[in-house]
Amino acid sequence: MSLIPFRTKRSSGMESGSLATLADFRNEMNRLFEGFFSRPLQASPWFEPNEPGRWLPAVDMSENDTQIHVRAELPGIDPKDVDVSVSEDRLLICGEKKSEKEASGEGWSHRESHYGSFSRAIPLPETVDPGNVTARYDKGVLTVDLKKSPASASRKVPVLTGGK
Amino acid sequence: MVMQAPSATSQAPSTASPQRQPIAAYQPDVDVYDLGAEVLFIADLPGARADGIDITFEDGVLSVQAAVPGRDLPGRGVRQEYGIGNYRRAFRLGEGFDASLIAADYKQGVLTIRVPRLAAVMPRKIDVKVS
Repeated sequence: MSLIPFRTKRSSGMESGSLATLADFRNEMNRLFEGFFSRPLQASPWFEPNEPGRWLPAVDMSENDTQIHVRAELPGIDPKDVDVSVSEDRLLICGEKKSEKEASGEGWSHRESHYGSFSRAIPLPETVDPGNVTARYDKGVLTVDLKKSPASASRKVPVLTGGK
Repeated sequence: MVMQAPSATSQAPSTASPQRQPIAAYQPDVDVYDLGAEVLFIADLPGARADGIDITFEDGVLSVQAAVPGRDLPGRGVRQEYGIGNYRRAFRLGEGFDASLIAADYKQGVLTIRVPRLAAVMPRKIDVKVS
């Protein structure tokens, strides 16, 4: 008669593996719930669509040696309703997208786009000259060109060799 | 706005399958309102060219395609939150719509399409005569 171990190495290994998976799952759920309760509901991505007044336009940014270019998707917004302000290291784009057609009482409706006010502060990679900014709105896209301040322009620094 | 006729030159066994194009396309956000006499579509197409928008209504399916010019931000990228590509979206409306009266308008990156219902399918109020 041979002794059959009650718990094989493999089965115990599986168990610890599944326990680890469970722990990961528990941690993930804790993280989700912490995020859920620590933020206002409107800021949660689950509630983002169709919630008026809480949306952020998508932004692209590029730079070269002298300028920073920012582009934001703002479809359906009257340029008069867009406010662009610049500090040395931050670009603020805010405004309001007005609903083109309020859902009427009769008939069904289905809404996917965002309406209401928005405000987006975008940190700039380098300081800029707030007095040297141009903004243009075309086909639902806002383009902002900012000129870097001379102090932040990169300068070539010669590397001195040691010795006398 | 371009109304495309059904293609008669297709050599595929099933002509009902949609045309496939290899270019990347994004689904735009669209609001849809049933206003009774017409169905109103409001699609966000930021960056699309007005002359690159193609609307078709065929077999009860409203299709929208829009061409977007390539990204031309100079310099090196710092932040990239949205992709640049063409838009494509289709809605099955079924029968009872008047394709000849579909109207479209593009302004500030937003496309508005009005698809009117046929008068024959509209509800009609019938007066009851007192005899």
